[in-house]
Amino acid sequence: MDAAVRRYRVMAYITGTVLIVLCFVGIPLQVAAGNDVVVNDVGTLHGILYIIYLITAYLLARRLRLSIGPTILMLAAGTIPVLTFVVERWVTRKYINPARQGQQAGQAAPTARTG
Amino acid sequence: MSSAEADGPAAEQAPAPGWRFLVSRRWLGWHLAMVVSVGGMLALGWWQFRRAEEGNALSWAYTFEWPIFAVFAVVFWAKTIRDEFSPPDATATLARAELAVGARLPGPAGRDHDQEADQAEPEDEDLAAYNAYLARLQEQVKDHGRWHGLR
Repeated sequence: MDAAVRRYRVMAYITGTVLIVLCFVGIPLQVAAGNDVVVNDVGTLHGILYIIYLITAYLLARRLRLSIGPTILMLAAGTIPVLTFVVERWVTRKYINPARQGQQAGQAAPTARTG
Repeated sequence: MSSAEADGPAAEQAPAPGWRFLVSRRWLGWHLAMVVSVGGMLALGWWQFRRAEEGNALSWAYTFEWPIFAVFAVVFWAKTIRDEFSPPDATATLARAELAVGARLPGPAGRDHDQEADQAEPEDEDLAAYNAYLARLQEQVKDHGRWHGLR
């Protein structure tokens, strides 16, 4: 499970950071200065990163056996500025940490491959 | 009691939840949401394709991206359903195994209990016996996870 958590976290931070650059640097530049270079490049980059983020987030959600609501929230978080980080903290507190404690107590599933 | 053994026949014998959950109101809502969102994503992809043809360079990226998202939606939907069909084998197996350990416990009670009860407060034999039972339960379950490849 640790590897799935790490992959998700790395992608959440990268995607979240790129999205913040896109929304708080790129879009103001485009709107105010008519400069689309940042929006075009960073926008495309975020698009590609978000695809990878989706995969890592979904695999972790399955590993944690999340129900559909939290899963969709995790997936959607990659498209809303700042929410990516908030949701990552929330998932860690609410699902990852309890799952880890359960694993330590010998209650949780062995890290069998889910896919 | 090895994990390989438990994953094999035991997992297959576990009662499958069946397909009825798929027509529950909750899941019908999810099916509908899936269809609508996939249709919406394909429409957005088409819209971006039109914009790309009109000369918007960024739209080329989104022209390919929206259909990919649509495929993801279908794949995630299908995988989630498949996971619902097959019970979470590892946790279920472990839970059953622990139940089996607990089920044997009340049998050979008695001997150890009395010994410990004497050393503890003699006025509450029941409590001491229960504590000894808990202690033994803890002892038996302590390293249990290791059998399943856990720590």
